[in-house]
Amino acid sequence: MSVMGSPGLPSSWLIKSDATAVYYSVPAEDLKNILTAELARESRLVWIFCTDESRTTEVFRLWYVIEEAERPEFIVLVVDTSHPESIASLYPVASYFERKIADEFGIRFEGSVDERRLLLHECYPEGFYPLRKTTKNGPVQTTEKTAPYEFRQVQGTAVYQVPVGPVHAGIIEPGHFRFSVIGETIVNLELRLGYLHRGIEKLAEGSDPFSGIRIAESISGDESAALACCYAMAIETIASIRIPDRAAALRVILLELERSYSLLSDLAGMVTDVAFSAAAARFLIIREELQRSCEMITGSRFLKGILTVGGLSRDIPDDLLMALKDTVIQSLVDLDEVFTWTLSVPSVIDRFSTTGVVREPLIDPLALSGPIARASGRACDVRADHPYGWYLAHPPCVIFKRDGDVLARFSVKGEEIRASLTLIKEMIPDIPKGPVHVTATIRDGFSLSALESPRGRTLFWIKVIDGKIDRFAVSTASFCNWLAIEHAVMGNIVPDFPVINKSLNLSYAGTDL
Amino acid sequence: MNILSLLLKKPKVTRSNTTDLVFESTGLMLRQEIDRVFGNSIAIREVDCGSDNAAEIELANLSAPHYDVERFGITFVASPRHADVLAVTGVVTHAMKEALIKTYEATPEPKFVIAVGDDACTGGIFAESYAVLGPVDSVIPVDLKIPGNPPTPAAIMKGLLMMMQSAEKR
Repeated sequence: MSVMGSPGLPSSWLIKSDATAVYYSVPAEDLKNILTAELARESRLVWIFCTDESRTTEVFRLWYVIEEAERPEFIVLVVDTSHPESIASLYPVASYFERKIADEFGIRFEGSVDERRLLLHECYPEGFYPLRKTTKNGPVQTTEKTAPYEFRQVQGTAVYQVPVGPVHAGIIEPGHFRFSVIGETIVNLELRLGYLHRGIEKLAEGSDPFSGIRIAESISGDESAALACCYAMAIETIASIRIPDRAAALRVILLELERSYSLLSDLAGMVTDVAFSAAAARFLIIREELQRSCEMITGSRFLKGILTVGGLSRDIPDDLLMALKDTVIQSLVDLDEVFTWTLSVPSVIDRFSTTGVVREPLIDPLALSGPIARASGRACDVRADHPYGWYLAHPPCVIFKRDGDVLARFSVKGEEIRASLTLIKEMIPDIPKGPVHVTATIRDGFSLSALESPRGRTLFWIKVIDGKIDRFAVSTASFCNWLAIEHAVMGNIVPDFPVINKSLNLSYAGTDL
Repeated sequence: MNILSLLLKKPKVTRSNTTDLVFESTGLMLRQEIDRVFGNSIAIREVDCGSDNAAEIELANLSAPHYDVERFGITFVASPRHADVLAVTGVVTHAMKEALIKTYEATPEPKFVIAVGDDACTGGIFAESYAVLGPVDSVIPVDLKIPGNPPTPAAIMKGLLMMMQSAEKR
């Protein structure tokens, strides 16, 4: 493993190196210089999380996860500090992570541009820091709201605000959008999330690592297989478990099936929001057939309960896989037909094209990933950039477009569904025989895992002490990708917001945790 | 449609989806109950208080072509002020408590509440978390619980049928 040289850090700082990440212990005063050097080399900051190692004092450990170009392992800079400096001026996305850490641990970041709470609403009392080890999970005495959340103000003649949510008009998750509008044109949008904060990271602490997977798959329902698999990969790295070949192949079938049905609802939503419901109906028919296939092979329409640490909880019989293959072949035919049809309708193109543009220069500062980044000109995909499991030997061909508008996202998602279904079709006849599960004992340690969910880069970092989960940290693609929407809507009209939102289709539950 | 486009069009091949007989019969029974008890239609407003979004997807699926429950007299409406029924999903988080209560209060009487999914019914795996108040009935009165992780569209329909039967008694 090429530890030496790459980030130019002294080898005495090296803490640990495994298949997914190289960890360096960095003095707090050197952090900013190292990050500046990383920025110059076009590395991306993809995550900051915190752990309470001291358990009593106010010194916390911050973990800065860096993605370097052309390097499969992530670089993790580990800093022990009680008074960290904000790095948002180098990496703007850091502000979001720092606000989350401030909520969870009560750490103040020096020089922070935004110190408002992020996921813990005003109803949580001052001084309540859930992820500190001294805080026990249990009922919390909420307070009557004192100071309301302060939204950014846009002032001037004819500017008015449109507050939307948390309860929306459609059957969707809760979140608040605050638009500032002149006429019909959006001049500013600010999000307020956290309504679905269920305390997942705290809840998992103290759990048995094998049962923690049920918590992981409850984070966000339409990417439950991706989350469960990513979690399992972290535990499997800690315990040095190598899952059987059949399980590795079947996991790919499940992950790609999930990608297909999830993205199909995005396509249906996009065409619905431009009043082309005939195509939406046909996308939804394909999706329902795929969800029924999910139920046929796993017993769950959302692929829940099948994945487990060490492989799969049960085998999928070959005859069911062949039935899945038939469905997939038919779905490919149907998809091509309705996809081509949609893109031949002028009124759809008129609404999709140049709408909700996410510009390429936003990708690195906001750590965007998934179809959103790929529709804006970046061929990034965890399956190809940080390959894992079966993808190690079979990296996918990354589909990308340049325009960054709704049309580009529609096209990327449509082509990704086609690629996923084609992969499933081709894999099924060659799935190796054998067991699907290996029993193993858990070991203490920590590990990072990364996976490409339907929405993009999913990261888990799990630490096990005395056979129990000590820290369960997760960053879904939606967390960073939500930032894109505030930029994508600028200059667009309010009536185009639904289609822009649907084209990004981010998970509220996956962000709020 | 003019004659030329008719001639140029390929013949339509319509593949009929396998009819789910159990779902259809539940739907028809529900239709009768809705006609009888609610005067031909019910309007449902969905409120997510802490769900992982799977239950929302299944509720939305009820309007998709395979199920198309509007033909049985069921509509999903945009405002609680238009609703007869609140379908509440997820364990109730502290952050959603106020919105849930306001939505409930905005719904005109007589109103019915169904809790959809395990988390909404019992709190599920989140019951012990600091961030939640508990199941839906710890915040507002619940008329019917539909368990499942998440319940399938067919299970939701069966639940609605049971709610209709109990609604009459209320």
